[in-house]
Amino acid sequence: MIETKKKDPRQSNPDVRRYIVCPSASGEGQGAMERTFASIETALAAISRENEVANAADDSNTGGEATLALDLIDKLEEADGQRNKPRYRFFYDTHLMGSDGDGTERDPWPDLPSAVAGMTELHQSGRLALDPGDSILLSRRQIFTSTSLERRRKIKEAIAQYVFMAMSLSLVVPVVAILAYLTYKAWPVLSWDFLTLNPQSRMTAGGIWAPLIGTFFLVLISLLMAAPIGVLAGVYLNEYARDNWYTRIINLAVVNLAGVPSIVHALFGVGAFVLAARCGESLLAASCTLAVMTLPVIITSTREALAAVPMSFREACWNMGASRWQTIRTIVLPNSISGILTGIILQVSRAAGETAPILFTGAAFYLKVADKGWESFFPYGLDDRVMALSMHLYTLMTQVNNVPDEIVYGTAVVLIGLVLAVNSFAIVLRVYLRSRKKW
Amino acid sequence: MSSNPKAIASDFGHKRISVSRIWHKLGDAAELPMVWLIHICGWSAILFVLAIFAFVFREAAPMLFGQLNLVEFFTSEKWYPDSVIEPQYGILALLAGTGAVTVTSMVFAVPIGLGAAVFISEFCGGKVKETLKIVIEVLAAIPSVVWGFIGVVVVGPLIIQTTGAAVGVNVLNASIILALMSVPVIVSVGEDSLKAVPDSYREAAISLGASRWEVVYKVLFPAARNGLLAAVLLGVGRAIGETMAVLLCTGHAVKIPHSLLDPARTLTATIASELGEAVRGEGHYRVLFVIGVVLFAVTFLVNLTADLVVKGIRGQQHD
Repeated sequence: MIETKKKDPRQSNPDVRRYIVCPSASGEGQGAMERTFASIETALAAISRENEVANAADDSNTGGEATLALDLIDKLEEADGQRNKPRYRFFYDTHLMGSDGDGTERDPWPDLPSAVAGMTELHQSGRLALDPGDSILLSRRQIFTSTSLERRRKIKEAIAQYVFMAMSLSLVVPVVAILAYLTYKAWPVLSWDFLTLNPQSRMTAGGIWAPLIGTFFLVLISLLMAAPIGVLAGVYLNEYARDNWYTRIINLAVVNLAGVPSIVHALFGVGAFVLAARCGESLLAASCTLAVMTLPVIITSTREALAAVPMSFREACWNMGASRWQTIRTIVLPNSISGILTGIILQVSRAAGETAPILFTGAAFYLKVADKGWESFFPYGLDDRVMALSMHLYTLMTQVNNVPDEIVYGTAVVLIGLVLAVNSFAIVLRVYLRSRKKW
Repeated sequence: MSSNPKAIASDFGHKRISVSRIWHKLGDAAELPMVWLIHICGWSAILFVLAIFAFVFREAAPMLFGQLNLVEFFTSEKWYPDSVIEPQYGILALLAGTGAVTVTSMVFAVPIGLGAAVFISEFCGGKVKETLKIVIEVLAAIPSVVWGFIGVVVVGPLIIQTTGAAVGVNVLNASIILALMSVPVIVSVGEDSLKAVPDSYREAAISLGASRWEVVYKVLFPAARNGLLAAVLLGVGRAIGETMAVLLCTGHAVKIPHSLLDPARTLTATIASELGEAVRGEGHYRVLFVIGVVLFAVTFLVNLTADLVVKGIRGQQHD
């Protein structure tokens, strides 16, 4: 019933009327301070007396001051200096119709006289344990202000919000810091020459042209295979498949294909393309492996893009007498091309970054390729092994000694930059094409 | 037949053959083969899943049904596949490595991922939301080998500085990197499942006087429980299957790790590091494919469970 430890309103409101209770003072109104009393009883009596005077002066029963403070102190000299934290806080509220209350914020006394009576009773029954230095606050409860329950919930909400924000920030900070650090370390080596020169002197000098062009061909060939199959599979799942058991199995297969670890894809590539299909470790085998890996995501994104085309478009087309295929070709695909393209482009960055699937299916540690001329743009045949950027980074880190730091950092930064550039292109494309949407 | 108004107009005049007309004729003629092709491609996902299992299993089969003692395979710590005298294939230490790294990374990733998902979905809007989503996309886009590089050159030295460990590449390092790698999955799936909770739930809670935290805690979490669980499972799947980052960051010791600062080795890293040296067709080579079968089975189970859990919510929610 007794509320303690509240925020002290005296600090925000200097107009609190203070009643100082000092046992060493002999009588009423002594000392430097205006309202000084020898005991709590006399202070309380003074409060109710002043209240009656105020009521007689103007007949409106507003209840006097908003906040009264009873400060218990040892010596009168201390009265000016400290303002103690209130030990007890009581409330009264003259707007209430009820007759009773216990002085808490939730159930305040109805007016000042009953507040004084309540406090006197509490004091006389010995339930106020007061030491010198403590104080009691009696406030008029403000209407339309939050109660302690609401304040507590507000605080909880604020804490939750800040915790969640901190969690999100703990993702932002490392990303920014890492990208900045890598770029800073790679800065000396980043130049046009770094991109266009081949690795030299056992990969400890030169640039990254050979792996860069290798990655380009790996991505190109794998997407040439995966994109048509994936898009058509997406078309099947969204336009043709009915909701029956084998559609559910196909969906399950797509989900699981997306979840197969990349190293298992590598094993599959070795078993299927390198050995069974007799491709050997080659550009073709590595591209096929990457294609299988990127396929499920292309299927899913195509399907989502197709599902975003309103059903009414199709219905309108069917009503004109068009067949399902004519509808897909003339209405559904043109209207969903943005989503499909975005999905495919995002797979460019995924395929460019993967290392494990090409590790045993066609990636080479080092190959000597042509430095100049048109041959340098087509250095690898379909049945040759290739260098790849991701593989090159792995090689530089683990297989080669005495590589200058900047070259390793530079390779990593180029790889990240490539991937992020492709991704931001996809995002820009998505935003641009979405803004041209007709529905 | 043609939807191009110019082509239609030309039909009324002299019969002119327009390019778009030919294109449409060709398109219509292709209907039957295209429908067949679409059906075949539609089935390709099943085909590839079966093919992956079949080809990995085919390489593993002679070992799996031959000399490999499965009990010893799963319960022995002794991984000496190269031994000429008596090769021993026990993957317990590798399983422990995968388990340790996965569990520790999830300890970091799950609270942060779900917290970020809640923040993005419920507590912020507009530009903050877009920025956070871009950061999540950047996290998801960084290739795994680059993550491994970051683990070695950034996280490793930090660990040595703060904990005084002898080497920076260990379970803790790999866990931090894996956590950062699997957070995007958890955030995006978690956010989707929060978004899938109907707004009427939120409105009902707010009209009863709930604060935003109470809406999240008492309404959204129970309503999106399955989706959030699926998010965690997909994160686990990602962590188990990750190869290059853990290959570079775990420290590569075939030992059961006893503390976060011990080095370890995972199933995936073992395949990646040893397949190149294993002689094709021999025991070592085949046992790596057996590990591949184990990995395939584990991730299949995890993804299947996640999928079933997600389907569970769709069944429950009717609005």
